[in-house]
Amino acid sequence: MMGLLQVTDLKKNFGKESAVRGLTFQLEQGKCVALLGPNGAGKTTTLRMLAGLLEPSSGEIIFGEHHSVTDYRKWLGYLPQNPTFYGWMSGQEYIRFAAGLSGMEQKEISKRTEAVLAKVGLQDAAKRRISGYSGGMKQRLGFAQALVHEPKLLILDEPVSALDPIGRREVINLLREIREETTVLFSTHVLHDAEEICDDILVMAKGRLAEQGSLSSLREKHRQPLVIVQVEREREALLWLDSLKSKPYVLQADIKADIAELTVHDLGSARDELMREATENRIPLVRFEAGSSSLEDMFVKVVSKQ
Amino acid sequence: MRSTWIFYRKEMLEMSRSFKLLWIPIVFAILGIMMPITSLFMPEILEMSGGVPPEMLSLYETPSSAMVMVQVLSQYSTMGVLILVLSCMNSVSGERYGGTAELIMVKPISSFAIIIAKWLAQCTQVFIAFGFGYIASFYYTYQMIGPLSWKSGLASFGLYGLWLILGITIALLFSTVLRGAGAAFVTLAILALLSLLNSLLPTWFSWSPARLTALASEVLVGNLLSVTSVVICCLITIGIIVFSLLSAARLLQKRVLPN
Repeated sequence: MMGLLQVTDLKKNFGKESAVRGLTFQLEQGKCVALLGPNGAGKTTTLRMLAGLLEPSSGEIIFGEHHSVTDYRKWLGYLPQNPTFYGWMSGQEYIRFAAGLSGMEQKEISKRTEAVLAKVGLQDAAKRRISGYSGGMKQRLGFAQALVHEPKLLILDEPVSALDPIGRREVINLLREIREETTVLFSTHVLHDAEEICDDILVMAKGRLAEQGSLSSLREKHRQPLVIVQVEREREALLWLDSLKSKPYVLQADIKADIAELTVHDLGSARDELMREATENRIPLVRFEAGSSSLEDMFVKVVSKQ
Repeated sequence: MRSTWIFYRKEMLEMSRSFKLLWIPIVFAILGIMMPITSLFMPEILEMSGGVPPEMLSLYETPSSAMVMVQVLSQYSTMGVLILVLSCMNSVSGERYGGTAELIMVKPISSFAIIIAKWLAQCTQVFIAFGFGYIASFYYTYQMIGPLSWKSGLASFGLYGLWLILGITIALLFSTVLRGAGAAFVTLAILALLSLLNSLLPTWFSWSPARLTALASEVLVGNLLSVTSVVICCLITIGIIVFSLLSAARLLQKRVLPN
């Protein structure tokens, strides 16, 4: 694997506010990477700097062997959060325009425009004015304009956040196809989207990189033995549930009415112990889950720690 | 170079789809043709409105064809400039604030190419609108009032056209920093100030681009122009245009796009 994009100590200040406070990371060719973070973490600012729309206050971005944005813009596909097109153009005209600006040859333009419009499923609407497109269609047109010149890196800012479930599904499927062809970096505040399609994630919080790595390595790192017990809403059972927090093998207990989330010392022995007690006391269990904490917990923990 | 051409074609397509390429020349033609018609029929118009003593009507003299063309130009100095500036005030700011610029600026096209393409498109618009209006009023004046010199007409067209192009260039420059209405207001204020200073202190501002309008009128009337004054005026105007375009390109690149 070779590094496609190398970002070193990237910073951006807006007046006294600093939006990005020193980011260092590397993107490998062919990977699909999610930039994850809560709203206001600096994701959009970072992506805009990578796309050359914002000048970094300091730091360095190296793309392949190119050191300046003007040199690598040709290899970049960019889709902002709310793409706006010329409503008076047809979809096809816009893609041809975008392809032309990317420096493609005339012959290639026609071929690629058709291919890319078919890929995003807009071939039937290609001749219609963009002003009549729905939100999902505009998003797909945004993908088409970002892909038409076959970029080496595709930067997407919140590509699925604003869509309804059907549009979201379409875009996720599209992303799955695209990730086979090119390197993708996309931002999202929904962990689930990242888990669904990505290899690696970068977690940002308050302008800093809070955590990074492959999905599996992060799962490994943040694995914590966790037992979830839910009981019937009976007095006896609830009392028993409440008593669990004083057990020696429970490190941390989070008890909400009839559900207890217990972080334990050793998953195996804690499970046996709890099962035994439950049967002895004839506790009416509703749910018993033993496993590791999910990435969601990691996300919340990492982000709130900052 | 190629991206400038592609962008220029997009601008022209936009102008024709929004019918600007149609209605602005028509307005220019109407403004222009009205002058010879009202000049010729002024006595009848006054008579119809009534209350004008017949002695005064008999005193009315139809102005010379050159004077009518001068009036046409003065009509363009107010209404014409206003229309052109209003039509180009959103050229850059519309893209910046509307969000379309975000998708353009990430493409490998320089901000200079964008500005030049937009400027050329606006120049084309000026050329078509002013050209059409001017030819129409020239023709009507020639037919209804009397002969005119083609040569002086052409010279005046060139001088006045340069003034209009200065106007849209300044509008384009301010369109990269301000929102549309603000850009139009500042541009019109600057043009008005230039004209005002030129008419208040003509000797001090003999170099001013606003002199172009006076020169365009003088050449129509048949006065001989001093070559140095024409050359200085044109060079200074072209200088301001080039400077404005370079600044606009720089500003477009440096200024953060609104989110």
